[in-house]
Amino acid sequence: MSTTIDPPVATTAPPVQHTGRFGAVLNAVAPFAKIGMIVGGVLSVLGAFLPWVTFVLNEGAYPERASLNMFVEPFGVSGFRLHITLLGIAAIVIALLTVPAKHRIVRGLGIGVAAVALLNGIWITVEGGGLGAITAADGTIAFGAIVALIGGLVTVLAATSGGLEARPEWEWELPWWVEWILLLVIFALVLLLVAEVLTSGGQGGVVNPYAGVVFLSLLAALSGALSALSASGLLTWVGVVSERHRVFSVVVLLLCALALPFTGAGTEYWMTVASNIGVYAATAIGLNIVVGLAGLLDLGYVAFLGIGAFTAANLSGAAASAVGIHLPFLLVMVISAVVAGIFGAIVGSPTLRVRGDYLAIVTLAFGEIFVRSAQNNIAGLTGGANAIPNIPPVGVGGFQFNDSITIGALRLPSGVMYYVAIVLLVAFVMLVFGNLKNSRLGRAWIAIREDEDAASAMGIRTGPIKILAFLIGAMLAGLAGAFFAHKTAVVAYDSFRFLESVTLLAAVILGGMGTIPGAVLGASILFVLPEKLREFADYRLLLFGLALILIMRFRPQGIIADKHRKAELADDDPEDVAREGPGALPTEVK
Amino acid sequence: MSRTRKVATTAALLAGVLALSACSTNREEASGGGGGTCDTSKGTLVIGFIAPLSGSLSALGLGMKNSTDLAVNQANQACKVPGYRLALQAEDDQGTAQIAGQAATKLASDPNVVGVVGTLNSSTAQAAAPILAQKKIVEISPANTNPALTQGDNYATAPNRPNATYFRTATTDAIQGPFAAQFLVQKQGKKNIAVIDDGKTYGAGLAAQFAAEAQKLGATIVTQAKVGEKDTDFSGVITQVRAANPDAVYYGGEYPVAGPLSKQLADAGLNIPLMGGDGIVDATYTQLGGREGDFATNVGAPPEQLPSAKAFIDAYAAAGYPEPYSAYGALTYDAANVIIDGLSKAVGNGTFSDATRDGLISAVQATNLQGATGAISFDQFGDTTNKQLTVYSVQGGSFKPLETGTYTAS
Amino acid sequence: MSTFLSQIANGLMFGSLIALIAIGYTMVYGIITLINFAHGEIFMVGAYGGLATLTYWVPTAVVAQWYFALPIALVAGALVAMLVAIAMERFAYRPLRNAPRLAPLITALGVSVALQEAVRVFYPGATAAIPFPPLFLDGAFVIPIGDGVVIRYTGVLLIVVSLALAFALERFVERTRLGRAMRATSQDRDVARLMGIDPDRVIVLTFAIGGALAGVAGVLYGSYLNNINIDMGFQNGIFAFTAAVLGGIGNIRGAVVGGLVIGLVRALGGQYLPGGTAYDYVWIFVVLIIVLVFRPQGFFGESERVRA
Repeated sequence: MSTTIDPPVATTAPPVQHTGRFGAVLNAVAPFAKIGMIVGGVLSVLGAFLPWVTFVLNEGAYPERASLNMFVEPFGVSGFRLHITLLGIAAIVIALLTVPAKHRIVRGLGIGVAAVALLNGIWITVEGGGLGAITAADGTIAFGAIVALIGGLVTVLAATSGGLEARPEWEWELPWWVEWILLLVIFALVLLLVAEVLTSGGQGGVVNPYAGVVFLSLLAALSGALSALSASGLLTWVGVVSERHRVFSVVVLLLCALALPFTGAGTEYWMTVASNIGVYAATAIGLNIVVGLAGLLDLGYVAFLGIGAFTAANLSGAAASAVGIHLPFLLVMVISAVVAGIFGAIVGSPTLRVRGDYLAIVTLAFGEIFVRSAQNNIAGLTGGANAIPNIPPVGVGGFQFNDSITIGALRLPSGVMYYVAIVLLVAFVMLVFGNLKNSRLGRAWIAIREDEDAASAMGIRTGPIKILAFLIGAMLAGLAGAFFAHKTAVVAYDSFRFLESVTLLAAVILGGMGTIPGAVLGASILFVLPEKLREFADYRLLLFGLALILIMRFRPQGIIADKHRKAELADDDPEDVAREGPGALPTEVK
Repeated sequence: MSRTRKVATTAALLAGVLALSACSTNREEASGGGGGTCDTSKGTLVIGFIAPLSGSLSALGLGMKNSTDLAVNQANQACKVPGYRLALQAEDDQGTAQIAGQAATKLASDPNVVGVVGTLNSSTAQAAAPILAQKKIVEISPANTNPALTQGDNYATAPNRPNATYFRTATTDAIQGPFAAQFLVQKQGKKNIAVIDDGKTYGAGLAAQFAAEAQKLGATIVTQAKVGEKDTDFSGVITQVRAANPDAVYYGGEYPVAGPLSKQLADAGLNIPLMGGDGIVDATYTQLGGREGDFATNVGAPPEQLPSAKAFIDAYAAAGYPEPYSAYGALTYDAANVIIDGLSKAVGNGTFSDATRDGLISAVQATNLQGATGAISFDQFGDTTNKQLTVYSVQGGSFKPLETGTYTAS
Repeated sequence: MSTFLSQIANGLMFGSLIALIAIGYTMVYGIITLINFAHGEIFMVGAYGGLATLTYWVPTAVVAQWYFALPIALVAGALVAMLVAIAMERFAYRPLRNAPRLAPLITALGVSVALQEAVRVFYPGATAAIPFPPLFLDGAFVIPIGDGVVIRYTGVLLIVVSLALAFALERFVERTRLGRAMRATSQDRDVARLMGIDPDRVIVLTFAIGGALAGVAGVLYGSYLNNINIDMGFQNGIFAFTAAVLGGIGNIRGAVVGGLVIGLVRALGGQYLPGGTAYDYVWIFVVLIIVLVFRPQGFFGESERVRA
C-alpha cells in the first residue's frame, strides 16, 4: 500500500481577477496578499497581548486579565485572547508555508479572529457602558479589541485578494492500523472538544456572570478553526476515512460519548444538560422518520413524547399518578413505546385521505387535543396543571439512577447513569433509523416522499406504509418520553405544547432532514444554546423564530444535507445549485 | 450611485453614534460586587429563588424577587454570614410545574446554593420541593397555601410531613378557605354561592375547603365549575352560573383569570361580589376587570398596618425597585431572612460545606425571629405558627383591608 | 331555554370574531396556497397596535369618549396589522414563492414565533395580560326570554362589524376590477400574468386586506374581553384556520359561515357535551379533523382537489 500525496491544485495560482462589489479593492490588495496575511496575523497576536478593558467591569474582572499587556506578562494570556493568539500565529505560519488552498485556510482563521474580537469587543462595550471601555477612559487605554479586529479583517481581506482556491481533495490511503489509530485520536480530540464547548464559561448563574459570552467566544474561535480545517480538505478526508472504517468509527464514537463523564463535563449539572439533549435528540430522530424520510409533516409530534412520559409516570409508583402501580423500568419503556405507537397509528390514519399541509393541520389538531386533555387532567392520568410530580428515579436492584458512582478513587457525579442510559437509547434509535432508512421500508418512504402517486403506481402500498412511519416515529418518541419522565421527575402538559413540536421540527430541519447525525446535531444546538445563553433568555424565542425564517431562506437543506434527498426542501431549482457552488454535495439521487 | 450614497449615509450615521457614545463607561467606584466592607474571603453562597418572573403571574413573582433581593443586600451590608458574600440567583418557573422542577434541579446541582425562597404556586412547589429535599436544600415559600405540601395528602386525618426541608411563612388553605366561608356566609349573609376554580393544586384545594365550610354554615353551593388557567373568555361558564342564580361567586385561583371573570360576570348582569383567596390580591386584579366590592382573603396581617413591616416597606421604597412588593412582599422578605438567619447560626465562624446543611435545616426549624409580618416560628410540619388572615375588599380601585383575624373552627 | 339561547349568542359572538380572522386565512390560501400560520399573530399585533395608539398617542380626554376611541383604535389596529402583514409577505414569503411546499410553511411558523416574541419583549408589560378599554357601551341588555338572555353591547359590536366587513369584502371581490384580478390570480397565477395582472401586487393586496381585517378583529377582541395577551393569536388563529377549512378554503362566505359554526360548536359543546367548558376547544379540533378527513373541500368548496 503506497501513500500518495496528490495536491490537486497548483499552488502558484495565476493572478486572480476579482469582480463583484469589492472587486476593485481586492485587485488593488492582491499583490500584497502574502504580506497582508502576515501583517494581519501579527496585528491579531498584538491585539491579544494588549489590554482589552480600561477598567474592571462592574460585575467583576473580564477578561480575567483585563489590563494585561505584552510588557507585563507575555505568557499570561488565557481564554479568548489565547484563542486569538493561536489563530493569529496559525495564520502567519500558513501564510509563509506552501500549502494547497492556503488563502482559503487563512481566510477561515482570519474570520475566526475577527469574530472573536468583534464579539468580545461588543460585549465589553455593552457591559462597560460605552466605547470608553474598549478605547480610552480615565487615563487608561485598552485597544486590544480594536487592534485584534483590524488584524482579523486585514487577514481576511488579504487572503481573499490572493484568490480563493477550490477545496483540495486528499486521496491518501494509509495502512488500516494507522488509520484506526488516527481515527481514535481524532475522535478522542472531538470528545475533549465537546466537553470543552459544553463546559466553557461554566454553569452560569450569579456567581459566574460571564458564562454566556465566554461560550459564544469559544464557538466563534472554533468555527474559525473548523472553517480553516474544512478549507484544507482535511475534514472531508477524515470523513472519507471514517466511512472506510464505518463499524470501527461507530463503535469508537459510541465509546467516546460514554467517556464524556470522565472529562471536565463530568459534573451533575452537565450530565443533566446532556441527558436532556439526549431525550430531545432521540425524539428528533423519531420525527426525522416521519418528516425526513416519509415526508409527512407532523406538527403535533411532541404529543407522543408526552404520551410516553405520562404513561411512564403513571406506572412509576408516583404518589400523584392515578394508576399507582410500579413496574420495572424496562417494561415501562416498552409499554410507553407501545402506547405512544398506538396513538401514532391513530394520528397517522388520516394520512389515508389527507395529504400535504392538510395533514400537517390534522396532526396539529391532535397535538392540541392532547395538550388540552392533559391540561384538564383527563381521567386523572395527567395531573392537569398540577403535573405529576415526584416520579421516583429509575432503580435497578438497590441502585438508584440518580446516585453517584464511585469506581476506585474516581467519583462520578449523580446523573451519570441517566447519561449512559440516554446515550445507549440514542444509539439504539440511530441504529433503528439507519437500518430502516436503507431497508425496503425506508426506500418506500423515500419514494412516497418524492412522489406519492408514482410510488403508488410502482406497487408500494402507500397507506399502511405511511401509517407505519407514524407508528415507528411515535414509538421512538414514547421510549424517550418514558426516560424523560424519570429523569426530570415531573411531567406536566406544559412540556408538550405546540412550540415544542416546532422546536423539534426545527432541530430536524436545522440538522438536515433525513440524515442520521442531522437530528442529533440539530437537537444539540437547539437545546444547548438556550442552556448556555441564559443571559439572553429573554430573546431566545425571538431569535429562534428569526432563525427559522433565515434557515428556510438560505439553507433549507440543513447543516448536514442528505445525499439522497431531492424534493421537498433541497429543491432541484437551478438557482439553488448555482448558489451552492461546486463544493456542494450532489443533490441528485444516485 | 444610490449604493455609494447609502454607504455614505450609513457611515455618517455610524460616526455620529460613535461620537455620541465615545469614551463613555458605566464604571462604578466600588466595583467587585456588593461586598461592602465585610470580609468575603470564603466566597459566595447562593440563595436560590423560584417564582414566575414572566407570564401572567409575574406581578406577584417580581415583587417576591425584589423582596428577596432586598433581604440579601441587607444581609451583605450587615455582614450576617461571616466570611461569605450572599448572592441571589432567581429562576423563572413561568408558573408551571415542569419548569419549576427544572429550576430546582439546576439550583440543586450547584453546590453553592444553600437555600431557596419560593415558589409562588402550590403546584410548582409540589414539583420543586422533593428535588430540593433530596439535596437537603432548605426551601421556604412565602405563598404556597395548599395544606398537603407540609402535612401530606391526608392532612385532614393523618398529617405526615413529606419534605423535612420545606417550610412556609404563609398559612394554609385549610385555614384560609373556612375563614373566607365564615366571612362570606356569616358576615355578608350570602346563602347561594357559585364556586369556580382553575383546577390547580392551589385553586381547587382552596375552593374545596371553602365549599365544605360554607355548606357547614348553612349556605348552598348552587353550582361548581372549572375554568382553564389560561382562559380569557368565560361566557360559557357565566351562562351556567347565571342559570343557578347565586348571590356570590367564590373563585379558587389567581388574578389573571379572576379579574376578567369578575368583569364578565358584571357584564352578564350578575352584579354579585366575587370572592377569592390570596391568589387574587394584586393591583393587577382591578386593572383586569375586578370590581368594587369584590372580596379576598390574604395570609397574614396587612403589612401597611403592621408596625413591624414599616422598616421593610421603607427599605423597599428606598431601594427603588421598579415593581411594587405585591401581596407576598413582606412574607417573602421574612422567608429570605429566615434562611439568612439560619445560615449565620449554622455556619457561625466556620465554613459552609454539605455537612452544614443539616445544621441549617435544624436552625430554620428552630427559627424564632421578629420579622416584618410579626413573630416567625415553625411547627413540626414546617408551617408558620402565625395563623393570621385578613379580609380585603376592593374599594376605590384597589384592595383595602377590612378585618384581620385568626380562624377559629365553627 | 334561556341558557340555550345565551349559549347561541355566546357562540355567534365568538364565531364572528373567528370569521373575521378566517377571511385573511382563506384569501391567502386561495391565492398562494400557503397556510399562513402567522396570520393569528397579525390579529394579536393588531390588538396591541390599537391599544398602543390609545395608550400612548391619543390624549386621554379623547379616549374617554368611546365614539372617538373606537374608530381610532379600529383604524390604528387595522393599519398596524396591515403593515406587518405586508412586511411579512415581502420579507418572509415572497423569497420563497417558488420554493417547495414545506419551506413557506415552516417560515410561517418562524414568523409566528418571532412576532409573538417581538411583542412580548418590546411591548411594555406584555409579559402578562394587559387591560383593554371597552371602546363601546359597557354592559349588556337583557332579552326577556325565560331567565333572560344577556347580550353584551361589545358582543353586538363584534357581530355587526364582522358581518359588515365580510359583506363589503365580498362585494369588493365580486364587483371591482381589483377583486376580479384577485380571483383570476387565485385560479391561475400564470394566466393572470398573461392577462396583464401583476400577481405580486395582487398578493400584497391580499395580505393587506387580510391583515387589516385581522387587526380590526384584534381590537374588537380586546374590547369584548377587556384584556389581551400575546397568546391570543395562536389559539384563535388555529380556530380561524379551522373555520376557513370548514367553509371551503378560498371562499369568503364560507369562512364566515365556518367561523359562526366554530363559535356555536364551542359554546354548545361546552354547555352540553361531557367535560363542560374545559373541553370546549377540544370539540373544535375534533370538528376540524372530521372535516379535513371526510370533506376537505368544506361546506362551500368545489370539487376535491389533490393537495400535496
